[in-house]
Amino acid sequence: MSRVAGRTDWAEEEDEDSLQLPQQTITKNRDGTETIVSWSIREDGKKVKTTRRIKKTTIKTVVNPRVAERKQWAKFGQEKGKPAGPQTDTTSVAENIVFRPSANWKATTEDKSEDAKKKASLKDAKIKCRICSGDHWTTKCPFKDTMAPEGVDSTPADLGLDAPDQAGALGGGSSSYVPPHMRGAQGGGGGERMGGKFERDDLATLRVTNVSDQTEEQDLREMFSRFGHVTRVFLAKDRETGLAKGFAFVSFADRSDAATACEKMDGYGFRHLILRVEFAKKST
Amino acid sequence: MRPILLSGHERALTQVKYNPDGDIIFSVSKDHVICAWFSHNGERLGTYHGHQGALWTVDVSPDSVLLASGGADNTLRLWEVQTGKLLKTWDFPTAIKRVEFSPDGRQLLGVTEKRSGHLSTIVVYEINPDPAAEQTNEQSLRIVCEDSKATVAGFSYLAFYIIACHEDGSVSQFDAKTGELLFNTQAHETDMLITDLQWSQDRTYFITASKDKSAKILAADSLEVLKTYTTDTPLNSAAITPVKDYVILGGGQAAMDVTTTSARQGKFEARFWHKIFAEEIGRVRGHFGPLNYVAVHPQGTGYCSGGEDGYVRVHHFDKPYFDFKYEVEREREQQEQANL
Repeated sequence: MSRVAGRTDWAEEEDEDSLQLPQQTITKNRDGTETIVSWSIREDGKKVKTTRRIKKTTIKTVVNPRVAERKQWAKFGQEKGKPAGPQTDTTSVAENIVFRPSANWKATTEDKSEDAKKKASLKDAKIKCRICSGDHWTTKCPFKDTMAPEGVDSTPADLGLDAPDQAGALGGGSSSYVPPHMRGAQGGGGGERMGGKFERDDLATLRVTNVSDQTEEQDLREMFSRFGHVTRVFLAKDRETGLAKGFAFVSFADRSDAATACEKMDGYGFRHLILRVEFAKKST
Repeated sequence: MRPILLSGHERALTQVKYNPDGDIIFSVSKDHVICAWFSHNGERLGTYHGHQGALWTVDVSPDSVLLASGGADNTLRLWEVQTGKLLKTWDFPTAIKRVEFSPDGRQLLGVTEKRSGHLSTIVVYEINPDPAAEQTNEQSLRIVCEDSKATVAGFSYLAFYIIACHEDGSVSQFDAKTGELLFNTQAHETDMLITDLQWSQDRTYFITASKDKSAKILAADSLEVLKTYTTDTPLNSAAITPVKDYVILGGGQAAMDVTTTSARQGKFEARFWHKIFAEEIGRVRGHFGPLNYVAVHPQGTGYCSGGEDGYVRVHHFDKPYFDFKYEVEREREQQEQANL
């Protein structure tokens, strides 16, 4: 973009400008990604620099020879002469959509609309369960009958969650506000149960920690059902990313099955991590 | 899942179709152009030019060599898929609302609109599968729908019957050889337009979508209603998924009412129902207009939807879609394993 100093010919200059768009540059980064910098002139005459960082992964699939042949067809119509690969003007990738089929879909969404207002008012507040750190109220926790809240004496150290979770927890007991750092010292007060008196058979529930974030509930169900009838699997997931948070609860119909599973699965290597399995602690 | 957004059309989509191998998607819209897309990455293969009016329908032959399309310019056209070349034009007095190839690709069916003294008809042409060959002008069959106009029609298994759905909510069965009306049944509510008919893989049963806010599965032989899926919005399209036992329903507020409804109220979502349990299991949002058509990948790995908003959204299903099972299904599997 060196401009000759002292040039006065404006017509020349104009021409020069449009020619002066830098070439597209592709830089290979060390982590295997590519940075593509391209220049273009917008309709209003402004020069636009577009920087894209692309990671290429080769996915090999075996296809029917007919399909492979069609892949080689020359483009025609409006696409005639265009290079291979999707064109940015017609093809783009939309935002990620989480689609998880569920059996009681209707019931769950109706619930949602009911307290939609309530939720909206609390939109900015971070909701975190004190029992399992899931993104729901402690009262709605599927393990409220089974588990003691975190931070009380039964909190395992290996979860590595303490102060921030406590601070984030909302809606404590029925009495007046107790500052987070005092909650532990309440002597069982932190464990006061919300919701009904309904007691689940918590003796046959296992807590599985150090679970890979790519895990699905189905994987756990498959792994654990070989020891007996699994009544329930709960995998804590991050609301935004949908990735597993690293721990799960597995309930068995029978306690002896749970005991075998606990024994066999503790230290089992799943994905790249070693599972830790223990009996879920009973709430106070 | 991350949908691929195809924005090659300038007006509302009217139909989208996968070819039988599922690698190409054909889309037609009211902007007169047919587009062909690769389904795996959304790359546009080409466009087919020639129609002079809004397009209503498209279908591809089973070997993906020929493409048929029909529209409001009162023509039914045949194209070569690979090159975009126009092979044949059949002229009609009224618009073509639906085209469909028979399962063997040797017959082509067209449904014509009822207008200005012309009754709705279903016409059938014998097709020469060779793109270089001359196509006949002669209709091998012509069925006139006197009672109520046909909106959609299709060939059953082995092109044994022609099933037609009507404006008044009834479904009729014709002999595909003679054109004789064998049976007619009031499947949907009276005077509620049936908007779509899509077949199961083996073409022994089909799903209909109607403005009466429900979709139904009917047997091709008996026209017996096997399943009913009742929603809260007028439906424009319904599809049956292979591999997993689901159906996908698409619809939304009628196009003319769209400006008075917000996207949230408009219910512009693809609805997934379990085919057997007839229970809604989830929705996929994304369009900001009603869904005019949903099509499922023949291998069951994804689906695409065309909306009134002018976009085609191509979805590749991910793991939770395939993993989902009802508790009873799981228990049965466990028992089967135990029995082995």
